[in-house]
Amino acid sequence: MLTATSATPTSAPALLAEGVSKAFVSGQQRTQVLDGLSLSLNAGELTLISGPSGCGKSTLLAILSGLQKVDSGRVHALGSELGLLDLRALERFRLQHTGFVFQGFNLFPALSAFEQVELPLNHMGLSRVEARRRAQESLEEVGLAHRMRLRPSELSGGEKQRVAIARALAKEPELLFADEPTSALDAANGQMIIDILHRIARAHGTTVLCVSHDPRLVVHADRVLAMEDGRILSDRRPHAPDASDHGTPS
Amino acid sequence: MVALARKTLIYEWRRFLPAMLAVGFAGLLQLLQIALVLGIFGSTSLYITGSSADVWIGYPGTQSVGSGRTIDADVESHVLMDPAVQRVEPYIWVDGDWRGPAETGGVSVFVSGIDPSADGLMFSKALPADLRARLAEPDAVVVDRSVLDQLGVELGQTATINGHPVRVVGISSGLRALGGVNVLCSLDTARRLDDDPADAGPTYLVARLRDPSQAEAVAARLRGDTAFGPYTTWSAKDFAKISVRYWLFDTGAGAGVLFLAGIVFLVGAVITSQTLIAAVNGSVREYATLNALGVGVGALRKVVLEQAFWVGALGLLGAGALGVVLMLLARSQDVPVVLNVPAALACILLVMGLAAVSGLAAMRSLRRADPATLLR
Ligand SMILES: Nc1ncnc2c1ncn2[C@@H]1O[C@H](COP(=O)(O)OP(=O)(O)O)[C@@H](O)[C@H]1O
Ligand SMILES: [Mg+2]
Repeated sequence: MLTATSATPTSAPALLAEGVSKAFVSGQQRTQVLDGLSLSLNAGELTLISGPSGCGKSTLLAILSGLQKVDSGRVHALGSELGLLDLRALERFRLQHTGFVFQGFNLFPALSAFEQVELPLNHMGLSRVEARRRAQESLEEVGLAHRMRLRPSELSGGEKQRVAIARALAKEPELLFADEPTSALDAANGQMIIDILHRIARAHGTTVLCVSHDPRLVVHADRVLAMEDGRILSDRRPHAPDASDHGTPS
Repeated sequence: MVALARKTLIYEWRRFLPAMLAVGFAGLLQLLQIALVLGIFGSTSLYITGSSADVWIGYPGTQSVGSGRTIDADVESHVLMDPAVQRVEPYIWVDGDWRGPAETGGVSVFVSGIDPSADGLMFSKALPADLRARLAEPDAVVVDRSVLDQLGVELGQTATINGHPVRVVGISSGLRALGGVNVLCSLDTARRLDDDPADAGPTYLVARLRDPSQAEAVAARLRGDTAFGPYTTWSAKDFAKISVRYWLFDTGAGAGVLFLAGIVFLVGAVITSQTLIAAVNGSVREYATLNALGVGVGALRKVVLEQAFWVGALGLLGAGALGVVLMLLARSQDVPVVLNVPAALACILLVMGLAAVSGLAAMRSLRRADPATLLR
């Protein structure tokens, strides 16, 4: 029997990055954003990547979720090597396995909360009934059962972000990526968002990777990776019994 | 399925309004232009389409009804000998100078001398029977309602054509001509009005066949003989086509029409595509989010195209409604406007084509909906 802390991976990791490097070239200037970074994430955990602005957190997230290509290194997500998939296959992979929550809520002004959530489900080949059932359930799960018919202009910032989470959640993804999901919100709403993300990891076994420079979120995460200048400096588990560093990967 | 395209169109209608107006006005302009062209240039073949002759016989090389020369009168008996021919009658065209009772100066008129008998072929579809009967009186003429002011004449008054007195015995409608004024009279009257001594025979002979569907064959058959001096034959349909084509292309009017159609299309497409592009750009982050969630670029393109389609359809609806009103108004003012099914279809096709082109242009800006840009 393994301990409840699951400090060691029980099976193949949900997300695995090996020696990932990424640089951006603009004009004469070349910025090495990620430099030989390796990382492994377990299913069912909320992992927080924290670090100063511009250290490469969002770039790492884009690479791990298949939205951006690496210069060198490899990324395995749920056993597939993302670098080997073409644009179409990546779209299909994202459709089936991933959810996203962004800093901006990116909701269509014309659609009600319910429709925002239902829309991506329509493209997953689900029946109409199933899509509606899932949309309903997800909105209930983020506590918006009573706001489902409202458009974004009638919702508060926190509610909008909860709709965005429900939109990602309704797909029942194995991987959920969130980039600065709380930075446009006040403390109370930010708190609520991170609670919901945590609950999703627990209840659905979803691998949640959240990026934030907000230190207040640290206490809510199962695991915290501190990043600086394209490298992971520390890897901590705030709630683990010994609460000590597990060493720096890579 | 959540109807994203339609819901956005309704919710953000203000944003799409310029595109709908552009499409609508482009459609309306094309519609009115086509209707006017058909109306005006259709009147150049009125002599043919308003008559029930199946075969026309005239001087070789004639390009439009108004530019015919006289042919030998004996051709008539030759044509009558063909067993397919049921009836032949002469048609005399005289270019005249009209002097009315009012101070109008000289007006150039096209005198059509026709057989006024009840079963006459010329203008059988355009001239009411009672007016036709009245033409049998010597020096009687019928003119169109729309040119009374121009001719400075009223019903019952007398005027002169080429110095010969004529009397207006009837006023008709739908007899407008291009570049002059149509005056209808009997063959006898027309002969009196013609002061050119060189004109001996009729300008045309027109024939009705027992079987109108044989027009092409009979026209070809009658063409061969040269015993009666120069003449040639056309089926009525061919001659109408030649006549309209002459006006459309040899006068440069057609080129002007096409040019204007092109400009209208271009301006409409620019405004519409700019509006649609702005709409796509306004939602580019939402589209990118959908793509991040795995909704394919193809599906997003469909949304943009569907929006373009609705913009086109709604613009067309507006153009159609306004077009009908304007055409009725034009009709009531005797402005020659005609719209047939092919022309209306061409209009619809043009407008939907405009919307489609604009949609395709807008689709290109979906490229900016790259989900990686949402991660910064
Ligand atoms: N598309 C890009 N082109 C050029 N430079 C980029 C691009 N994306 C990110 N960068 C640069 O990479 C660095 C890391 O960016 P990012 O991953 O967004 O940082 P963080 O999310 O940690 O604030 C920054 O210096 C940024 O300017
Ligand atoms: Mg960032």
